[in-house]
This record gives sequence, structure tokens and C-alpha cells, in this order.
Amino acid sequence: MKKPDGKVVLLGDMNVGKTSLLHRYMERRFQDTVSTVGGAFYLKQWGPYNISIWDTAGREQFHGLGSMYCRGAAAVILTYDVNNLQSLIELEDRFLALTDTASSDCIFAIVGNKVDLTNEYALLLETEDENTREKPVTSCISTKVQKQVHLDDAVALYKKILKYKMLDEKDVPAAEKMCFETSAKTGYKVDYLFETVFDMVVPIILQQQAEGPSQTVDITSYKSAKRTKSGCCA
Amino acid sequence: MATGEPDSPAQEGMALSQEEDRLCPADTGGDKLSTGLEELPAPQSNGPMRSVDGQEEPSDKDLSDSASTDTALEDSSEFGRPLMVGACETGAAAVPPTRRDEDVTAASWRARRKHIFVLSEAGKPIYSRYGNEEALSSTMGVMMALVSFIQSGDNAIRSIYSDDRKLVFVQQGPLVLVSVSRTLQSEQQLRQELLYVYYQILSMLTQVSITRIFERKKNYDLRRLLAGSEKILDRLINLVESDPSFLLGAVRCLPLPASLREALGALLQKAITPNLVFSILVARSQLVTAVQERAVIEECRLEPTDLHLLLNLIGASSAFQAGEIWTPICLPRFNPDGYFYAYISYLDAECTVCLVLLSTDKESFYAVSDCKKRVEEAMRTQGSLQALSGGLQSPSYGVGQVGVPDLRHFLYKPLDIPENYRQLPQFTSPELEGPYCSEEEQHRLFDLYHYLHSRIHSTSRPLRLIYHVAEKETLLAWVTSKFELYTCFSPLVTKAGAINVLTKLLRWIKREEDRLFIRYPPKYSTTPNPGKGTKGGRPDNAENGFFAGL
Ligand SMILES: Nc1nc2c(ncn2[C@@H]2O[C@H](COP(=O)(O)OP(=O)(O)OP(=O)(O)O)[C@@H](O)[C@H]2O)c(=O)[nH]1
Ligand SMILES: [Mg+2]
Repeated sequence: MKKPDGKVVLLGDMNVGKTSLLHRYMERRFQDTVSTVGGAFYLKQWGPYNISIWDTAGREQFHGLGSMYCRGAAAVILTYDVNNLQSLIELEDRFLALTDTASSDCIFAIVGNKVDLTNEYALLLETEDENTREKPVTSCISTKVQKQVHLDDAVALYKKILKYKMLDEKDVPAAEKMCFETSAKTGYKVDYLFETVFDMVVPIILQQQAEGPSQTVDITSYKSAKRTKSGCCA
Repeated sequence: MATGEPDSPAQEGMALSQEEDRLCPADTGGDKLSTGLEELPAPQSNGPMRSVDGQEEPSDKDLSDSASTDTALEDSSEFGRPLMVGACETGAAAVPPTRRDEDVTAASWRARRKHIFVLSEAGKPIYSRYGNEEALSSTMGVMMALVSFIQSGDNAIRSIYSDDRKLVFVQQGPLVLVSVSRTLQSEQQLRQELLYVYYQILSMLTQVSITRIFERKKNYDLRRLLAGSEKILDRLINLVESDPSFLLGAVRCLPLPASLREALGALLQKAITPNLVFSILVARSQLVTAVQERAVIEECRLEPTDLHLLLNLIGASSAFQAGEIWTPICLPRFNPDGYFYAYISYLDAECTVCLVLLSTDKESFYAVSDCKKRVEEAMRTQGSLQALSGGLQSPSYGVGQVGVPDLRHFLYKPLDIPENYRQLPQFTSPELEGPYCSEEEQHRLFDLYHYLHSRIHSTSRPLRLIYHVAEKETLLAWVTSKFELYTCFSPLVTKAGAINVLTKLLRWIKREEDRLFIRYPPKYSTTPNPGKGTKGGRPDNAENGFFAGL
């Protein structure tokens, strides 16, 4: 079977826009989504590599599965909603521990989505129209809201993650580089996010391949395959 | 189980009942049955009482099947999601008011045909079919007070009858389910419906988890875990009301040439990996074929209920239509405490043909995904996907094909399936057409079927043949050792006439048997050392971890 070469996992609370981000990137459009069930697997050709992407469900019902989807991951994209502080807090409280099963050299990206809803969005566009794919939706402007989570908060979380992972800031990509603000709706910085992450994943793939098969996604999964418990059949 | 074996030797007789109650104000021919059909023993005015074991519900009912279209189940609604601060979703179309936004003080809310409520023992709302649970918390509080008041006397409340409504209560572990209904369904049928709702909740959370959660925290808000799943319950309840699969406890197969079905089964049989236990191919929610692991079904067969719940869960969300899904799912009739891991992927761009592979191994995604690739490839080379979707374009079949004038619709469930095949109970019925196109008329017809079914399976006075003259149609229900049959005729048909043409219908079914049913269910062995007591086939015991963070 053709095995994927590296794994990227999207984590974050329900409704923050993980599926929308991935959909925007893969399908080039923003479409109404439904809440994800379990995890959805996608393959993305990136140069000579097949990168697997797991879009996980943020619902609490599926919480326990996170560590399974993260097993051996080369990158984890922690997603929150810039208009919902709780969604950032959840990343630390609920999702960070799930990444324990990720690869030891896993990279972390922190993504604040739905910036199009904030009153800072127009400002952002002025300074960076390079990456913008669509004009901002003007009808939205009157209802713009004050952003709840700022980039500094994400940077602070990134540093906490490094601490949690006992990583040295010098050995990993800089926080400023790994904290993103996006809009799946307008496409703002979505490609930039995924392309940055994929580019960083490639060296990890090479590393994993050099270390032999024990590090690859598939073999890791076989190790625990025997652990089937006997359930009671009524 | 009263309904499971309608044909114990002790009851060779047959009760013929003239239906003359408020349901059918129309004419009631008092004549005795005279017929040329030899299988019919002489009619008796009073059938022998059946030995029944009390309150046992007909335990295997089911199947979800979205033959009837359900406009209320669009996937775009967003209830259950927390309201985002200041969210202005201008681009996405404004969310239409859902049933969940209904004003619970309005008369229209009270006038609903059937309400279903789920609450916790602490009286906390968990689910309401209409209206938002929050707004209903005092109503649910009253219900719980009622339940516990009667409980305190070491009793259990089962039902309350009012002039035009039945209230039915079911308690399962820490959950209380309540149905408030104006339909013609019997208390037993309503109870069964509530059990389906309960099982669907288990299919997402498992019984042990729910028990454990409430052990730790009596007033836990279970909606936290069910957030986003309300649609699954909404859809289930609609299906149970409109899909005979649930009433009959049987699975409806997609009519297909036997050779095609067998080829597809053979193909699934080959695409296996360790710990794979069920491979299920469905098209438009109708079963194409299901392959079962030999050792597993030796201990426990795949129940129609479990299949219905699984298909309902898949059908309720378009989340399965992109990517390859890997998600835990419990088959509560198989094992209420364990999880299977379901691989779900549509095989065609239109998302009509769906492959579901169930494994007991949480970590086997890549291996199972590979099975799907093999299935896909083999289907491509055989051209069976086209053959399959070709069969999907037309409606499955119309009653006209039977060639029996005045016959409008029927439900036929064979009962003479050899046990050694471990077959799923199946049934067949034509598409609804003619006067039964509107939802209202469909409800009316299913009310009648429900009513006949409850008479046939009555615990106190079961019947074997019922001729029932309703307002706009005439129905005949008949159960023998070989089948259970419900037929609906135009009102012009006479009793003798109806019975006469049944032979023709039965002959047609016999002829079409190979197309309408799975005759020889395929099996495979995926466990390393199959045989009794194998552990490989058991679902993973629930340690999904979501209650760890309580
Ligand atoms: N305005 C705006 N809305 C967005 C954006 N991204 C997502 N949404 C909306 O937010 C809602 C949730 O998006 P999803 O992508 O389904 O969220 P999710 O994180 O995948 O949620 P789960 O699958 O339940 O974990 C949808 O209604 C989207 O239309 C965005 O960038 N801007
Ligand atoms: Mg999602």
C-alpha cells in the first residue's frame, strides 16, 4: 500500500473553522460546513511527498481520539477563533496534551481563524494585500467586532507549548513565524499557512525516512494493534 | 419475545378480526372470510391466546433508510454550536429557524404530533425533538418529578393516557425518555421508538460512559457530549415514523440482480485486513450487501437495529462526504459498552454509494483505508459502480410491477430464513406513490401499518389475519410461519378480492426473491485464529477518554 509520508493534524475546539480552512485550501472555496465526526483523512501531494492531513472533530464527544489522530504527527495546527477567547484557552487545557503522541520533532502552528469578522481586518488588508484572494465582504463591515484574542496571546501560548514540550526556543521556528491569523471565508493567509507548514514538514519527513520505518505513521499504528480488549458480548 | 416468532406450534389457529373501531368509520362487511386460498385455515372468531412474556418489547426492530425525503434535515443548520461572540455570518446564508428555535409556549408547539424528550435523572434536559431544551427545562423538571414521585413508591411510571394523547416513559440507566404522542401507535411501539433513541445515544457514547459520567456527576449536562448530534436524533425519529424498517425490525435491500450483488459481496470478501469485522456497502441508505466476520457472528449477529442506527448516523450528516472518515461507533445491540472503529467513505462523486468498514482496532485506519482502495479498484475494473448507480437512478420498484390491480403498497418480511446463514432479517416494499406522496398521507398510511402491526403482535390477543377497512383504503395484514405481510388496497376492493390477489403478489415476490433479498450473506475470516472465544472480534471497550476530563 502507498503510505503517506508525513502527517499534519488540525486540532481545536468545535466551530473554530478547521474544516473550513482545509476546505478553502484544498477546494479553493468557502462553503457551508457541518461539524466533523471523528476525523477526516485527506492526502495532499506536496512535491514528491504525500502528506496526510487529519481534520479532527472539535466536539467533546470525540476528545479521547485526538491522541490517536496525532500519533506520529510531523505538524500540529492548533486552531482557535479570534473572536472567542475560550477557544484559545481550550487549546491549552484540552488539546495540547493530545499532542503527546506526536513525533518528537513535531512542529506546532497556532492559527487564529475568522479574522474577517474583526474590525482590524481592513487594517490587516492594507498592510498585506499580497495574500488576499478575495475582496473583503463589505456588508460585514458595519457589524465588525472587537477582536478578542490578539496575536500576542497566541505567541504566549506558543511559548508555553515549547515549555511543555521542553524545547528550546533556539531549536524551533520562531513564535512570530508559527502564529497565524487567517480567514477561511475570504482566504486570507490560508495558503500561506498550509504552505509554510508543509515546507517545514518536508525536512521532518526526510528525517523520519532516514531513521527507518519505525518512525513512520504506519508502523507505529501496528505496534498497538494487538491491544484489542475483550468486550462482553451480551 | 412475542413478536419475533409469530408462529409457535401452539397457535395454529387464526384469528380473523373485523376492524370496527373509531379508526375506520367506513363500511364493515360482516361476512365471514371465504377464499380460495388453501393456506388459510378456517377462520375463527377468537384466536387462541398466545403465550407471551409480558412487557418484552419486540427487541429487534429497525433500519434506517432515507427513502422518504426529509426536508427538515438539511445539514446547514447550526444548532448545538455555541453562539460565537459577535459572529456575523453574512456570507453563509442566514440559518433558517430550526425546529430547535420553536416557541415552546406556542399552541403550534403543543399541537405537534409527537414530542420526544430525553432527560437525566437529575431532571436536566438532554434532548427535545422540538424547541430548545433550555426553554423546556421546567417542563422536563415536572416530568422528572413525576417519574421520581412514582419511583419513590417502588414503582415505575410507564404511561399516561389522555383523551387524545399517550405519554410513554422509559427509563434506561440514568436517562429518562418520554414520548408525548397523538399518533395511533401502541404504547409498546412508542416504547420501542424511545429505545431506538436511547440506542442511538449509546451508539455515540456507549452505556458504560454514560453510566460513569452520571456516577461521577449527577447533574452533568450531557448536551456537552451530544452537541452537534441533535440532528442524528431528529432524523432517527423521523425515520422511525416513516420507515417500515424500524417497525418490522428488518433491513431493506436495494433491489439488484443477484449476480451483481454476489460479485460485490465477493469483492468485499477479498478486501480484508486483521480485525475487520463488518464490511457494509450501501446505496442511498439501502443495503447492497454486508459481509460479516465468521467468528464474530458465531457469537453475536449483526442486528438490524445496529445497522439502522449506523446508517442513520451516516445519513444525518454531510460530514462523511469529504475525505475518508475514521470514527468510533458503538453498535449497542451487539455490545452497548464497546466501540468499533468505522471507516466511512463514499465511492462516487454524487455520494450515493457508501462503503462502511468496521474494525475492532482503533489504530487500523491505514490498513482499512487500503481495503477501501482495493474495493474501489476492483469495482472499477468490474464496472460495478456504474452498474450499481445505474440501478439507483430509477426508483427501486413500483407497485405497478406486481401487476395486481387495486394494490397500492405492501410490506413483506420473509420469516423462513435458514438460521445457519445468520441472515439479517429483511423486508421489501415498493416505493410510495399514488395517493401517498404527501408527508401527511404517508403518516396516515404508516399510522395504519403501525396499528395493524400492533394488533398482529398484540401481547394479549395476537391476530394472524386482519382485514381492515380504513377511511381511504383497505388493508390486509397476514402473518404465517413463512412471512409477515401488510398490504394496502384501494377502498373498492372486497375482502375476498383482496385475499384472492394475495396469491398473485406472493408469486411475484417469489419470482423476484433473488433480486429483492440477500440470499446468501457472505462471510470472511479476518481474525488470526478464528473459532469460539476469539478476542479479535470484540469491540474495543469504551475508553474513549472523553470522560477523563470531567
Ligand atoms: N466569518 C467566518 N466564518 C467562518 C470562518 N471559518 C469558518 N467559519 C464558519 O464557522 C463555522 C464552523 O466552521 P467549521 O470549519 O465547520 O469548524 P470546525 O472547526 O471544523 O468544527 P468541528 O468540525 O465541529 O470541530 C461554519 O459555519 C463556518 O462557515 C471564517 O474564516 N470566517
Ligand atoms: Mg470540522
